[in-house]
Amino acid sequence: MADVMLLLMPRSVDSGGNAESRLRRIEAVTDSTLAHLDLEQLLPELLKRTRDLLDADTATVLLLDSGGEHLVASASSGIEEEVRQGVRIPIGEGFAGHIAASRKPLVIQQVDPTTVVNPLLWEKGIRSLAGVPLLAGGEMLGVLHVGTLDSTPFTEEDVEILQVAGDRLALATRTGLTRGERAAASALQRTLLPARLPTIPGLQLSARYAPGEESGVSGDWYDVFTLPSGWLCVTVGDVVGRGLPAATVMTRVRTATRSYALDSDSPTEVLARLDRHMRHFEPQTMVTMAYAMWEPSLSRLHLSLAGHLAPVLALPGERGELIDLPIDPPIGIGTAPVQRRSGTIDVPQGATVLFYTDGLVERRNRTLDDGLRLLCEAVTTGPTEQLCSRVMSRLVGTSPTDDDIAVLALRRQEAEELREISFDLDAVPEVLADVRATLRRWLPSAGASPDEVGDMLVVVGEACSNVIEHAYGPLGGTLSLRFEAREGEVIATVGDTGHWRSPRGTHRGKGTELMRQLSDDLRFEHGPGGTLVHIRKNVTGGDPA
Amino acid sequence: MTTANIEVLSPDTGTVEIAITGEVDLSNCEVIQDDIFAAITNHLVTVRLDLAGVTYLDSAGLRILFALVERLRLLQTECQIMAPFGSASRRVIELSGLGSLVELRP
Repeated sequence: MADVMLLLMPRSVDSGGNAESRLRRIEAVTDSTLAHLDLEQLLPELLKRTRDLLDADTATVLLLDSGGEHLVASASSGIEEEVRQGVRIPIGEGFAGHIAASRKPLVIQQVDPTTVVNPLLWEKGIRSLAGVPLLAGGEMLGVLHVGTLDSTPFTEEDVEILQVAGDRLALATRTGLTRGERAAASALQRTLLPARLPTIPGLQLSARYAPGEESGVSGDWYDVFTLPSGWLCVTVGDVVGRGLPAATVMTRVRTATRSYALDSDSPTEVLARLDRHMRHFEPQTMVTMAYAMWEPSLSRLHLSLAGHLAPVLALPGERGELIDLPIDPPIGIGTAPVQRRSGTIDVPQGATVLFYTDGLVERRNRTLDDGLRLLCEAVTTGPTEQLCSRVMSRLVGTSPTDDDIAVLALRRQEAEELREISFDLDAVPEVLADVRATLRRWLPSAGASPDEVGDMLVVVGEACSNVIEHAYGPLGGTLSLRFEAREGEVIATVGDTGHWRSPRGTHRGKGTELMRQLSDDLRFEHGPGGTLVHIRKNVTGGDPA
Repeated sequence: MTTANIEVLSPDTGTVEIAITGEVDLSNCEVIQDDIFAAITNHLVTVRLDLAGVTYLDSAGLRILFALVERLRLLQTECQIMAPFGSASRRVIELSGLGSLVELRP
């Protein structure tokens, strides 16, 4: 390199060509004060220093976009419009594209449509260009190039200095991207994993999500949602892959699953449609998942497994066991469409079902079978919060995890726990169907005959409709419900925190009349804090739960 | 989400049969009323409303029925409501007094 320096005088203004000045110049771009800057601040600062150092008129960084086939102008000193106009250069084409493809520095002295893709460069009158690849850990992240309006060529020493600056940039970019991706992935997970699991009277639910130590947040998820039909869907799955790419695919898989679930009451059909969807729209993706649909009565669930480990079922007083069901191929890549299978599993009162992803049981230092055995030993039925904590503590403990982990536990509550249930809903018409689904489940266990269930549905439905239509202004409010099973009767209380208003409109006011006729006692309690409707109905259909 | 389906049949030029299945409450009553009214033209002699497949009906649904009965009386069109004994809508309709305005059929 020293020979070259003697042959060609470097462009830089303060260059004496000696080792000392060279060191000074390198320090300008490796300065430790730069370490304190964010990537957003570092890029322009480094570009400015590089430009000054090489006496160049422009300095530009182009980064590889997520598709991996184009360079996109990300920062520029001198031709800022490159960034504003979102200049895109295909890999392999033109000056920058050629550097990216060859991963080698390049110097040119002819800037025109035959050598350069970006018209901004020759329109600006750039005559001489030098560029280096941005490489970090063997990965090509982009290109850094400088240009001048005069035609003096860039020397080898200039290129060397440029490469030092490029290496510094590559390192900062890599760190920034990793940090940014991790933040984005965990933000995605945070918004998508249900912050609050739905309230399903009759079921107790708890969940855990833990990012892997190495990979951070990835593509594991769990989801619980009800359908208009009163069925409850549970999905737990794992998009194969790591970090942000896996997390973004996960968001799409989760949404697609919900869409197909809305149109089908068959787990195998939902998975088959999802499979078709993934093959077409995400052909490079593989997903494993357990898909379960709970009957409105909650006494049985229908389950299908797509390459996913079987959930654990623990009956009261017994140790947990893996649900015995054949595992069909995963969703997506690598398998031809298959005839999927599902099984029906009885879930008696007091039983717990635990869904999980492979991160929970797979460890480098033990076999999968050992992990599963350990899991089954840890699962006994009982309050789900404690169960989740116990499972995480026994299987994860303090050892670092490679993969992320999702765990979802659901326990069918005992009749005794269900003597009294209460929950709050948004006071909007859409919740009326959910209220009926809950009552259809609960009333028979409270001793109501089919006719009495029908009457109670209307009485409670009317009380809820009143709250939705009359209690609140356009901002809306809360609808509070409480049901209690007593000896020979059920008590329902429907409450709001709004201001009472008489029903309006033609043919309105029929509701109150109906409520009186279909219940055994009806009382309205108007207070400054809202209205409570107390409903009592005698039941004859059997023993209260 | 509350869902109901409406099927419209015309057995002859003077008659329309409207069969509702599913649930009717505050959240879908307006759509259902619009669908029912849209199926009725002014040259009809008889409108037959079949509620046998309705699994839930409350005063929101009754409002539709009262409005329909009133409208058809003005149009001098006969109205028959089919609500089998023991069906979810029968009891609510009987209690509402609608039976005195319109012919209720099992």
